[in-house]
Amino acid sequence: MSHAIELQNVTYCYSEGTPSQVTALKDINLTIEQGELVGIIGHTGSGKSTLISHFNGLLKPTSGKVLIDGTDIRESKETLRQSRFKVGLCFQYPEYQLFEETVAKDIAFGPKNMKLDEDEIKRRVAVAASYVGLSDEMLEKSPFDLSGGEKRRAAIAGVMAMEPSVLVFDEPAAGLDPAGRKELIKLITDYRNKTGCTVVIVSHSMEDIAKIADRVIVVNDGMIAMNGTVDEVFSRCDELQSMGLDVPEITRIFSRLHALGFDVPENVYSVDKGTEIIRALIEGRRSV
Amino acid sequence: MIRDITFGQYYPGKSLLHRMDPRMKLVLTFALIVFMFVCKSFASLAVIVLLTVIAVALSGVPLKVIFKSIKPILIILIFTALLNIFYTHGTVQNGDALWISFLNGKIEIWDKGVYTAVFTMVRIVALVVISSLLTYTTTPTMLTDALERLLSPLKIFHIKVHTLAMMMTLALRFIPTLIEEIERIMNAQKARGADLETGGIVERAKALVPIFIPLMVSSFRRAYELALAMTCRCYTGGEGRTRMKQMKMKGRDLVCLFVCLAFAAGIIVLNYFAKHETFSIFGMLFFKQVI
Ligand SMILES: Nc1ncnc2c1ncn2[C@@H]1O[C@H](COP(=O)(O)OP(=O)(O)OP(=O)(O)O)[C@@H](O)[C@H]1O
Ligand SMILES: [Mg+2]
Repeated sequence: MSHAIELQNVTYCYSEGTPSQVTALKDINLTIEQGELVGIIGHTGSGKSTLISHFNGLLKPTSGKVLIDGTDIRESKETLRQSRFKVGLCFQYPEYQLFEETVAKDIAFGPKNMKLDEDEIKRRVAVAASYVGLSDEMLEKSPFDLSGGEKRRAAIAGVMAMEPSVLVFDEPAAGLDPAGRKELIKLITDYRNKTGCTVVIVSHSMEDIAKIADRVIVVNDGMIAMNGTVDEVFSRCDELQSMGLDVPEITRIFSRLHALGFDVPENVYSVDKGTEIIRALIEGRRSV
Repeated sequence: MIRDITFGQYYPGKSLLHRMDPRMKLVLTFALIVFMFVCKSFASLAVIVLLTVIAVALSGVPLKVIFKSIKPILIILIFTALLNIFYTHGTVQNGDALWISFLNGKIEIWDKGVYTAVFTMVRIVALVVISSLLTYTTTPTMLTDALERLLSPLKIFHIKVHTLAMMMTLALRFIPTLIEEIERIMNAQKARGADLETGGIVERAKALVPIFIPLMVSSFRRAYELALAMTCRCYTGGEGRTRMKQMKMKGRDLVCLFVCLAFAAGIIVLNYFAKHETFSIFGMLFFKQVI
């Protein structure tokens, strides 16, 4: 089976040929497999957003190639158009893209651009709305009357309604409260479990990435610095810190406990797992 | 892309022109433009050209950048020149002034035509160069500030000069922000398959709706936030407002003023004393003999 997305030697410069030229990506080679959940981390300005804008052809690489399902997206106009529908891109603060009279109409914008028929569009709107938990009543409201979190979910539904085989999120939880954040991350994992869709998430939250990702890609100064499982990446704490990143808080606590001689594993990435281990540890002591 | 549209073409530097009081610059530029239309002979035009050249040299703005400001008017320039050459008949001197005539006199070029063509071209180029020098050496904010100061006497007619200037400053300040915003929204809608490039005029206009509505919404939000932020910092309009950067006339501004006055005097004098002789001699030397 071919890779869901493959980047071959992709280099990208902003404002090429002017004095303000910035090389945002340098010779990136990357594959994303079908059905994976990939987390992308990197400090501010490292090139994460630039990277994901290549996945659906919004940016044209200065050099190099982007392949989706094994076909070069720049092969023809049609393949480029198809890439927009195969890879759904959900930008940071997607709520600012809402424009229609009603939420339902806004969610239907993507499917309409795909030239689907009325019934199919209706079905997709209903399905996408249920994924993000928008009630029928909300669907008939103006998107501008929703709360911030609801707007965000409406916008995400707008991308989901295209039923892309790869869904890419750029900091989906930015600016949400902890509860909203948790809810959103759950919504994304649920969606992925239900549809088996490939998901890529850019996030500044090490906790979220450690909790849900199958694989983590670390971007540093336009290059891929690390690429591996959560274990592999977060065990390199010092390197991450030198790139202005960090490991989840809970991981730091556990590696400290481990260093102090407690009988706990070092590689703990979620609070739930950590609680479990500590509880087991305490109970073990009691029973002694 | 959209970002490539440069707005406010300020070219950073520390030259004499950059350091001059923007009010003086504004007044002198205006005066120079007026004098460009005052001059009637090639000799006086030469004075303007000389002054323009001196100003360009003083500004430290590279010639390449200056040429960029002429480029957009190149077509207009050629067009006016051609019209003048072929359609202005007559002479600026006594004697035989018909230079070329072919197709049995259907197309004629008279010396007055060439004269006017060259004259207008030089005048337009000088005009554009001088006025773009002003924007190359002055930031938009400084310009509006200067304008506010210069127009402040209008207050007696109850015109809110300060408010107008503040509006202009804010508008200028938000243009880059808006451009960034448009780019962001365009990308977001393109990611949902919006097609902005193909189709007829109607379809394209329709395709802009998903971009303009979010843009309007966020602009209004930004405007409210800005108004709130300004109010929180006790902004109440121009009344009793002092400035952090005081504009002060310095010695150099006076020197520039006197230099420009001298040139202006030169223009007036040359207008009277050197009518068309220079041009006629030029024409005689180069054209009459060749043809
Ligand atoms: N439109 C643009 N024009 C010029 N340079 C840009 C543009 N967008 C981004 N850059 C530059 O490219 C580099 C990468 O930017 P990018 O937005 O991809 O970073 P990022 O990793 O997404 O950062 P953040 O975490 O803040 O979102 C930065 O140095 C940035 O200054
Ligand atoms: Mg980003």
